[in-house]
Amino acid sequence: MVSRLFAAALLTAMAAAQTPYKAPRTADGKPDLNGIWQALNTANWDIQGHAAAPGAMPQLGAIGAIPAGLGVVVGDEIPYLPEAATKQKQNLANRWTADPEIKCYLPGVPRATYMPFPFQIVQSAKTILFSYEYASAMRTINIDSKKEAPIDSWMGWSNGHWEGETLVVDVTGLNDQTWFDRAGNFHSDALHVIERYTPRSPDTMSYEATIEDPKVFSRPWKMSMILYRHLEPNARLLEFKCVEFVEELMYGPLRKKTGK
Amino acid sequence: MNDRRILIAAAAALLMTLPAVCQKPAIPRTPDGHPDLQGIWTSASVVPLERPASVTGKEFYTPQEAADNAKRVLGITSWERLGGQAPEHYNMSQYGLDLSQVKVASTLRTSLIIGPEGRVPPYTPEAQKRNAARNAANRGHQFDGPENRPLQERCLIYSSEGPPMLPSAYNSNLQIVQDAGHVAILQEMIHSARIVPTDGSPHLSPRIRQWMGDSRGRWDGDTLVVDTTNFTDKTAFRNSTADLHLVERFTRVDADTIIYEFTAEDPATWARPWTAQIPLVRIEGPLFEFACHEGNLGIANTLSGARAAEKKAAEEATKK
Repeated sequence: MVSRLFAAALLTAMAAAQTPYKAPRTADGKPDLNGIWQALNTANWDIQGHAAAPGAMPQLGAIGAIPAGLGVVVGDEIPYLPEAATKQKQNLANRWTADPEIKCYLPGVPRATYMPFPFQIVQSAKTILFSYEYASAMRTINIDSKKEAPIDSWMGWSNGHWEGETLVVDVTGLNDQTWFDRAGNFHSDALHVIERYTPRSPDTMSYEATIEDPKVFSRPWKMSMILYRHLEPNARLLEFKCVEFVEELMYGPLRKKTGK
Repeated sequence: MNDRRILIAAAAALLMTLPAVCQKPAIPRTPDGHPDLQGIWTSASVVPLERPASVTGKEFYTPQEAADNAKRVLGITSWERLGGQAPEHYNMSQYGLDLSQVKVASTLRTSLIIGPEGRVPPYTPEAQKRNAARNAANRGHQFDGPENRPLQERCLIYSSEGPPMLPSAYNSNLQIVQDAGHVAILQEMIHSARIVPTDGSPHLSPRIRQWMGDSRGRWDGDTLVVDTTNFTDKTAFRNSTADLHLVERFTRVDADTIIYEFTAEDPATWARPWTAQIPLVRIEGPLFEFACHEGNLGIANTLSGARAAEKKAAEEATKK
């Protein structure tokens, strides 16, 4: 009898361990994703696995160096078409001038998710706001909407729906001006991103982005990473309005020369 | 007790229950019982921030006067308002952005600023001195570098973006999204999401100064009250200092209207606080992405134009 009870308890425990995590609910019964989140990886440097490397400016020493990273591409291979592979190599060679992040441009999707800045989710039943600290970038997710992108944009057009524990976001209408990372990985205006946000514990979410772009890749491929909740009691998005920081770079040569 | 007295007693009983009913008007509410401010709104207005001299001392129009004023203002196209000097780009009619082409709240007010004067109070002597010094420093240097150009031309922050939020010449669009502890206010121009916590949390450390300040909210009955401090002096809303203190009030009065009110206080700039009231009207949307900096050819063209003009002037001077 005792052993049977023990076996039953063991089975229950095993079942519990296998049951996927069920997140707290919002008033409308959906998983509650509200909060301030951030990726803790170096995918913004390079979405593929990479060793540490020197940075662009030797005078910055260790501060400017590139940290190593395991990569977030499932299988660690990006299926570029031959011409696109050449273009990516050119981008990589020009990374210190050509990456749109250098000019404080909007990051696009999915790059906004793994920039080294937090983002906040404000979740209501019909509209979910994703607000990113970097460059005041933002987008709203239209829940159960069939509306199509009215025009291409930097942050795209996001329609979402719930599949059990997962918020699935279908992103279209993205322009071809953004990169995936500082290593020159890129896409065209045919990019279609399907994102999946799934709570996996009270303070972590798994994030998956399926990338489709027949002009650049031979098949769809996937990124996968964990997002972490900011738990500081006073956690808050702050401003990173970086336009101010790129004016010298972009307009410096057009300044009036002084001292003449 | 005669019929009349019964009627009065019944009316009195009804009146006693009425205030409770009146405090909770039939407006949309979120699951936690607070007013639901969500949706896409416009602050487009047919009355100016400050009261025109022609209606000095008159806070409200009669309904007929208000209708006449609205008709007059809506009749002016952007092309007429800006005159022949305006580049084709600012001919808003072609984009459907003229006031006559968008939704505008009706109001009896003669100005957005409330009160007998209806104008921003005069600058304090300290502020006058500060403004004069700033103007003197920029005089003759307006085209030297990006820092000399207005903030909205640099795509840093739009003059009406706020807080406080004001109607713009066009695109006065905003969206509100709420979760249980936050009200997020999204502005189309230049694009920002101001996420206001309503959990009673204190302002940021005074060391942290921001273009849009730090906003904290609370519910005062059915009104959202937002308190904003921690500004940077670079924002300088109507020449105010970093000590600008703003209190905004959002009250949803019906399905299609939010009354938005703000009080601006900065003793180093104005002798007294002043208050403006702006009706927000619900629109269909969507809010479009306003990628201002990404498409900013204006700053580079303005500066290179100024350099070309200087070069030409210098060449002509040497010829003489």
